[in-house]
Amino acid sequence: MNSNRSLSNTSRYNGCSVSGALSVSAFIRDAVSIVHGPAGCAHQASSLFHSTMIANERFDIPYIYTSGLLEEQIIFGGENRLRESISEALSYDPSVVFVIGTCISETIGDDIDSVCTDAWEVPVINLNTSGFLGDSFERGFLNAIKGASELITASDEKTLSANIIGEKNLEFEVEENYSEIRRLLGLLGIDINIRFVRDITTEDIPNFCRGSLNIIREDPSGVLTQFFAEKTGIPSIPRFPSGTSDTLNFLEEAGRLLNLPWAEAVAREKEYQRSVFEEFSDLGDERIAFDSFGFQDADTQFFTDIAKNTGIKIDPDGTVIPIPLTAPVGTTGIRRMLREWRRFIDA
Amino acid sequence: MKQIALYGKGGIGKSTTSANLSAALSEKSLEILQIGCDPKHDSTRMLMHGEWIPTVLDLVRKKGEANIAVDEIVFKGYNGIRCVEAGGPEPGIGCAGRGIIATFQLLEKLDALYGDVIVYDVLGDVVCGGFAMPMREGYAQEVYLVTSGDFMALYAANNICKAIARLSKRTKNRCTLGGVICNSANIENEYELVKEFAEKINSKLVAFIPRSPIVRVSEVNRKTVIEYAPESEQAEIYRKLADTVMKNVPDKNKIPVPMEMDELESLSLKYIKI
Repeated sequence: MNSNRSLSNTSRYNGCSVSGALSVSAFIRDAVSIVHGPAGCAHQASSLFHSTMIANERFDIPYIYTSGLLEEQIIFGGENRLRESISEALSYDPSVVFVIGTCISETIGDDIDSVCTDAWEVPVINLNTSGFLGDSFERGFLNAIKGASELITASDEKTLSANIIGEKNLEFEVEENYSEIRRLLGLLGIDINIRFVRDITTEDIPNFCRGSLNIIREDPSGVLTQFFAEKTGIPSIPRFPSGTSDTLNFLEEAGRLLNLPWAEAVAREKEYQRSVFEEFSDLGDERIAFDSFGFQDADTQFFTDIAKNTGIKIDPDGTVIPIPLTAPVGTTGIRRMLREWRRFIDA
Repeated sequence: MKQIALYGKGGIGKSTTSANLSAALSEKSLEILQIGCDPKHDSTRMLMHGEWIPTVLDLVRKKGEANIAVDEIVFKGYNGIRCVEAGGPEPGIGCAGRGIIATFQLLEKLDALYGDVIVYDVLGDVVCGGFAMPMREGYAQEVYLVTSGDFMALYAANNICKAIARLSKRTKNRCTLGGVICNSANIENEYELVKEFAEKINSKLVAFIPRSPIVRVSEVNRKTVIEYAPESEQAEIYRKLADTVMKNVPDKNKIPVPMEMDELESLSLKYIKI
């Protein structure tokens, strides 16, 4: 029996696995994602997409399909309805169909796997989410990455390029963070091979193994690092860097993993970091206090270090600075954050 | 309108008892509706002279809920008794409990849930909220536990007690335990055993139905005992049960007290002859 602990906080990672899975699968442009459950499950997820993507100034909200289970299917089983939904979804001519189970389809015992393995004209992949059995947003996210990776094929050709894995498509600064990683890798002369999964098509996925380094957005449990190491044999860096020394370490680690000289890249980045802190030297005498907005786990040490580097004093009576939900990525992330602090201080 | 429900272990004789009870009640010029809630849909068969009537859920599956008329699901059987079978999904898929809920709601929508007495013949055990629904939603207002002296039958009856006790805590509860019916399995000291069981759970033994070959003979002739052998002693016992049920006004404040497993075991051990 599934006996996930109930968490008292309200982090998105403890949300629904359906949303987590969709935050991956809906970003493969030529795929159709079917939420196999009552229409409300798809509605909840698409509401989240709608609000977060509009807030991120993206208006191409992915289309989410639902098998729209009604009482009749709850009583008699929903497998036939899922088959019908897959057939309907195929009329949109997708290259792949993802099936996302919900609490209801799992409760009534639908065998989604067997439906997915019917002889369909394109791959139909069960993302193994199943609402409460799928645990949380994070579990749905992980299972969807694994599900989509079924389309990865072996490649003999290698290029000096990196795969970006598990970008948070609903994150506010997703593009800025990507650009920063791209800039950092550029210092080492490395290109990006594939963004897995961010606005790609299924045609891009077989190229995955041409990459020679995997960079995972974040992987605190180590699940993705291990999974992709076993699947592709490509070495991994399990996080986007945050903070000054972490960014330098990132460059060194990437260089080492690819047998590339990294000292020059690190020196150039150090110089850039120095220029960034200089840019904000006018804030040197300011006093600030951090507000975690109720996110009790917020690591203020990271932000305290940035403040010290700039010469800013931490003082409970200082200007209140809201701590972002995720730490800024790379040196440019720090710069962006300091600009925000300046706006708060100057306001 | 009296709404009674017979719960008990599978195979204990709920359908036989409820069909004969309905037949005996119908002799009192009462309007009876019997609803079989078991997916195997054999509850009303004897009242329908062996005919397997279409089930509500089969029709829902075929035609959709919106296209069902009352006369497609309610059938007149022996002595004008109106018979309904809920049916269920194929084994291994879907949710039969939810199917029972849907059936009752459809009957209500079609204004078919009426009569002087509605007899719900509910399946084996209250294993989930869906199956407990007839008592939970106030359809089954008086529950009769059908059991024999067999340990597993008492175990199932005790479980149903747990459900009633649980539901009694609800503010809108309308479900009471009407009593225990012993459908004898010819076990030694069975009367004493089941009587004591009934008292232990804060209820009473309302009928002891002896095992009689006439029940089987009637059944192979596709009739209730009341219809096939109206003069028999067994028919008289069912009539007595009908009298008891009609006179019975269970105390809404009397909540059953389910037994602990070891208590139940000790009770069975007390009456068993080794």
